[in-house]
Amino acid sequence: MSARPRETANVGAGLWKATGMWAWLLFRISGLILVFYLGAHIVAISMGQFDKLDALFTTFDNPVLVLADLALVVAVLYHALNGVRIILMDFGIGIHRHKVMFWSAMAVVVICFAVFAYVAFTFLATGKGVM
Amino acid sequence: MRAETVSTHRGGMWSWLFQRITAVLLIVCLAIHLILTHIANIGELNMENISARLANAGLTAVDIILLAAGIYHALNGLRMVLMDYWFTSRSRAFGLTIGLWVVGVVAFGYGIWALWPWIG
Repeated sequence: MSARPRETANVGAGLWKATGMWAWLLFRISGLILVFYLGAHIVAISMGQFDKLDALFTTFDNPVLVLADLALVVAVLYHALNGVRIILMDFGIGIHRHKVMFWSAMAVVVICFAVFAYVAFTFLATGKGVM
Repeated sequence: MRAETVSTHRGGMWSWLFQRITAVLLIVCLAIHLILTHIANIGELNMENISARLANAGLTAVDIILLAAGIYHALNGLRMVLMDYWFTSRSRAFGLTIGLWVVGVVAFGYGIWALWPWIG
């Protein structure tokens, strides 16, 4: 961190060196991906009305789409946990520990992802779920 | 100071608050949704077991909350992004807000229509 007072520091010049700006950019990108996914999801799932849903679910058991699904889980987990971090910041929790807060959130992302990845790869390997 | 206020609070107080409320609702309901669809039923999703699940009123409620909170959170988030780049003036931002509300209400109606067999 710069030793200069915040008022005189050239904040903008070092903006992209800070973890926070990458956190912000990834938050935005994952958010936009999820907006368009949600739109597609609502349209697709509503096809249940036309008895087309079962064929669609079979399509989504394709290995490529199982992996795409897993990538989507990453977007959801990142967006969710970074969002939790932001809400905690709003309550003043961890405002003096930005990096600890961010990497703690990312640790939770990795742990949750491990569970989802285990399920997905078990399904890809055996064709069965874990439950 | 300026750097810390980038991209927060500018969409208005109420949309800021509702974005947080829907975020909390989404975390809880999405966790339930993902555990049921991805972990419990991977490779086994079909109309039959989904219908059986939706017969449970609590899970129908989860789906309705996901629909409403998801649409609000998604479109308000999209609005915040668009207001940073193209809809920068007050009048343009207002037009954007109206347009997104129309899209949101239509999407919500469409989703409720699909869920209607279990609601009605």
